[in-house]
Amino acid sequence: MRLFPSLLDNDRGGRIFMGLLGVVCVLVPIFNLAVPETSPFHMSTYTVTLLGKYLTFALLALSVDLIWGYCGILSLGHGAFFALGGYAMGMHLMRQIGERGVYGHPVLPDFMVFLNWEKLPWYWYGFDQFWFAMLMVMLVPGLLALVFGWLAFRSRVTGVYLSIITQALTFALMLAFFRNEMGFGGNNGLTDFKDILGFNLQSDGTRIGIFLASAIALTLAYLACRYIVDSKMGRVVKAVRDAEDRTRFLGYRVEQYKLWLFVFSAVLAGIAGALYVPQVGIINPGEFSPINSIELVIWVAVGGRGTLYGAIAGALLVNYGKTYFTAAMPEVWLFALGLLFVLVTRFLPAGIVGLLRRRGAEAAT
Amino acid sequence: MRPWRGLAAVLAAFILLLPTLPAAAEEADYDFSAAVDALRVKSYADKEVAISALADTGNDRSIEVLEGLLVGRLFYRKSDQRMVLAEPQDVDYEIRDAATGEPLGTTGKRKLKKIGINNKLRKHLRGTIARLNLAHNDPAVRMAAVKEMMRNLDAAASDLLRAAMARERDVKVREAIRSGIALADLDSPDAAIRLRAVTDLTGSLLPEARNRLSGLAERNADGSSSGPDETVSLAARKALQSIESKLALNRLAETVFFGLSLGSVLLLAAIGLAITFGVMGVINMAHGELIMLGAYTTYLVQLAMPNHLDYSLFVAIPAAFLVAGLFGIAIEQGVIRYLYGRPLETLLATFGISLILQQLVRTTISAQNVAVSNPSWMSGSMEINPALAITYNRLYILIFALLVFAALLAVLKRTSLGLQVRAVSQNRAMAKAMGIRSEWVDAMTFGLGSGIAGVAGVALSQLTNVGPNMGQSYIIDSFMVVVFGGVANLWGTLVGAMSLGVANKFLEPFAGAVLAKILVLVFIILFIQKRPRGLFPQKGRAAEG
Amino acid sequence: MKTLEKMRAAMRRERSLRRMAPDIVYDPDLDTSHGPILYLENITVSFDGFKALNDLNLYIDDGELRCIIGPNGAGKTTMMDVITGKTRPDAGTVFFGQTIDLLRLNEPEIAAEGIGRKFQKPTVFEQQTVHENLELAMHADKRVWPTLRARLTGEQRDRIGEVLDIIGLTAQCQSRAGLLSHGQKQWLEIGMLLMQNPRLLLVDEPVAGMTGHETERTAELLNSLAGQHSVVVVEHDMEFVRSIARTVTVLHEGSVLAEGDMNEVQNDPKVIEVYLGE
Repeated sequence: MRLFPSLLDNDRGGRIFMGLLGVVCVLVPIFNLAVPETSPFHMSTYTVTLLGKYLTFALLALSVDLIWGYCGILSLGHGAFFALGGYAMGMHLMRQIGERGVYGHPVLPDFMVFLNWEKLPWYWYGFDQFWFAMLMVMLVPGLLALVFGWLAFRSRVTGVYLSIITQALTFALMLAFFRNEMGFGGNNGLTDFKDILGFNLQSDGTRIGIFLASAIALTLAYLACRYIVDSKMGRVVKAVRDAEDRTRFLGYRVEQYKLWLFVFSAVLAGIAGALYVPQVGIINPGEFSPINSIELVIWVAVGGRGTLYGAIAGALLVNYGKTYFTAAMPEVWLFALGLLFVLVTRFLPAGIVGLLRRRGAEAAT
Repeated sequence: MRPWRGLAAVLAAFILLLPTLPAAAEEADYDFSAAVDALRVKSYADKEVAISALADTGNDRSIEVLEGLLVGRLFYRKSDQRMVLAEPQDVDYEIRDAATGEPLGTTGKRKLKKIGINNKLRKHLRGTIARLNLAHNDPAVRMAAVKEMMRNLDAAASDLLRAAMARERDVKVREAIRSGIALADLDSPDAAIRLRAVTDLTGSLLPEARNRLSGLAERNADGSSSGPDETVSLAARKALQSIESKLALNRLAETVFFGLSLGSVLLLAAIGLAITFGVMGVINMAHGELIMLGAYTTYLVQLAMPNHLDYSLFVAIPAAFLVAGLFGIAIEQGVIRYLYGRPLETLLATFGISLILQQLVRTTISAQNVAVSNPSWMSGSMEINPALAITYNRLYILIFALLVFAALLAVLKRTSLGLQVRAVSQNRAMAKAMGIRSEWVDAMTFGLGSGIAGVAGVALSQLTNVGPNMGQSYIIDSFMVVVFGGVANLWGTLVGAMSLGVANKFLEPFAGAVLAKILVLVFIILFIQKRPRGLFPQKGRAAEG
Repeated sequence: MKTLEKMRAAMRRERSLRRMAPDIVYDPDLDTSHGPILYLENITVSFDGFKALNDLNLYIDDGELRCIIGPNGAGKTTMMDVITGKTRPDAGTVFFGQTIDLLRLNEPEIAAEGIGRKFQKPTVFEQQTVHENLELAMHADKRVWPTLRARLTGEQRDRIGEVLDIIGLTAQCQSRAGLLSHGQKQWLEIGMLLMQNPRLLLVDEPVAGMTGHETERTAELLNSLAGQHSVVVVEHDMEFVRSIARTVTVLHEGSVLAEGDMNEVQNDPKVIEVYLGE
């Protein structure tokens, strides 16, 4: 346990964030489960799920900040890793439905029965086991990132080239997952989940459980990222971001650094997706759409990239804004989002964190 | 002054003669009208005579009247016995005078009496109509008549064709008639004639020829020919082979054409991006939305001039160039200028702009797709042979894309702006040192690239749906073209667009459209392993930086 | 050769400078038994038809300090690019020692073999501190996992401290490298080269933007490095070249025009023609 505090010694933002998250993790279950529904302090399960969803988005933003803020790799396809993790979880939840599906087939999910499939495709094997599904949640995005990153970084695809290629990747995956023949439910995706590890997904207790799991995952991921960026590897990675060629002439195999960081980031995104799916109850190819991936980059930009906690703050803020706007005045949301892109890049390159730091520095002098 | 005086004299004479001309016409009309009225006779034998008489008047309207009679649309009005052609309109009929074509409004079904025909007459009518059509002045009508006859070849039709062959001058129509005669001859009892017919059909691309020949070429289970005559069957097999290989060639040509057509769309979409990316090193994610603005400009232009749809595109092209170009300059001046040297931020900011532009169109015009109509000269297709037809809209857009390419090339090679653009794209610092106002060049380049996006939008509005989301899918494709072709090289963009287009269309039959797209994406990702700077890389020390 | 011997002797005496060259183990395959440490033979590099290097032949002896001069566009930087793996030549061979074919290696592998480079335009990691810059350059296991687990040892801290001393940036050790002046960045880059402790140093215009005093110190430093290291210096400043050079190579239009000591080269009619024009 001594490791955690020492990691946060020089990280005031991180300590604040950890503290807040800890408080929320204590209060949310109390307000949801212990406070009676009639009380004004009662927190609805809907709100709990919303908060849990935000936490998975924060984890996703963290994974993007790690490669963009620290290594200068602007991935416009991180939504793909998120969605793949989500699909892996979705496949497990699908197989947990068992005979309770509309068609009541003991093995085949409903959509396969609907398509007149005779037997389960080989890549659905093993997903009935929780541990196997969890392995795939990390392995599938990780492997895709490994292959893709190896190809891209080896040929020194950088900058906007890399960004667009990653966007093309997620676009291609979206097209592929829309096809019924892929065996992932096509257009409708995977949905109608019943339970996870035997707990009913609709019950308040399960929702709280997944919320807490998301919080724990976010905390651990944050500490892991902090460990990486504070290590010498973190300094090498920053060196790559600022002067890639120079780093290479110092004897560092830049491609390897980028590759492993990219893979780690993809795994985090996959975990975020896996936690997201049971909370929203559906995963479909829309999650692969390029606009999702690019939107999550702006969460990081708004919060302030290259700080880790900034990415988390940005994800929470922008998503709260999205929830508010899309409910209150839906036609305004895209204007607001578009404007956010322009204003943040133009006036707030270091995001809100940068703004606060500047204020802090001014106040100090 | 003399020529004027002469002209005036001719005009005066013309005006004086004018009243006499309709008089002559009236007389002919009267004869024709009488011939039409003659169809009202009861007896079918008399009707047959009347039909022949009507055909012999040589009046252009006789075909229409006879066709009306054939399909049961020729009536007479009970009130005044007037012969009319009627089109069913809900419950009532919309009628025209059969002899003059003059519209007579709508009338109830009961007030009309149909001119009846029997099977014998029907056959006679078909022959007569075909004969009339075969003698028509317009080769296209004659061609259509031949094709119509080929669907139902009997001895009479064959005789008609032979007669037509004697007077036919048009090469294509002669070719069609020869095929028709040959098809008829396949049923001849004389084996020699059948054999000659088979030989005549060798290489014919008519679907009927292929069907009949494959019937003749069929083998029985024991390998012997199913046809009555072994030599004819053998010849048919050979003829069929040549047809098949010719068809394959045509399918190839068709695929290549579709590929080039897709390539031309990619070219139009990518070329503006290629310029801005090549010169400024930034990706304009709103490029697709500038294309969309061009398409919407076309829509608005058509709304503004609903009576001149045929000319609307010629107005829309410069209008779209201006609209998109001005938007582009505004984007450059308002945002991109401040993000110089931060290409990733530029990418994000312009993406924000693309969201705003989409939503702008959604709120001001409609969230639904809008209907942009094709001018008449853009619709229809050009038939090169019976197996290969090229639609005009694709053809014109291909030509248009190449024209835009050539124009852009000329601008870059021949104008001083082009010289400055090339200088800045090769070495910005040096160009600045030489006194080139690189900010001005940036703005102009961006305006030019965006303007071309707008023009691309006009072209795309003729091929695809026009809606707020239409631009989104083009940004990835365009960028792939730029990556594939190489930055700052227009020829690379041309070759890149065309080869990606053709590759896509060749993959589609095997893999399906979606998988073809995925395969092309994967190919490009692998391609940049080998050639990170594209097909036509820029070399030199500046490029190394 | 006599001067070289004298300098080596001087260096052995100079204890303060001695510290900068601790014994480290390089690739045991590096075979310099025939004298030269670097062999460039028949190198040709062309950009779109323009031959930046044209059949260049150059040998650098082990422990030598070599100055390379030549007018703009003579191919000096391109030559450095070829040695460090940034540019692949169209023809020719590059060997490090007898056996190591540099054309088969990429940039980090070449750096790991013990070839360090200082760029013409000082490139330091501006977002990181001076201390971090030196740490990054330090000779160490540079694979990913060991780097992730790496912690500075006391010995390594001392070494960074020594180099900070030498380059005169001890006071700025915790400030961001981007805040340094141009001359200080030059020093920092030299410091990074020292941390790398390479067998062969390629130094591109080290004294551009330095004051007279700093130039002198640089000359002193480079001189002291020769012997245990081989040093190749590309420089325009003739005074500086004269102050350090033993052997000078003149490049012109991508190949060697003349080679010899400073006086020989300066009196070579071909060199005079190139520098002064017809």
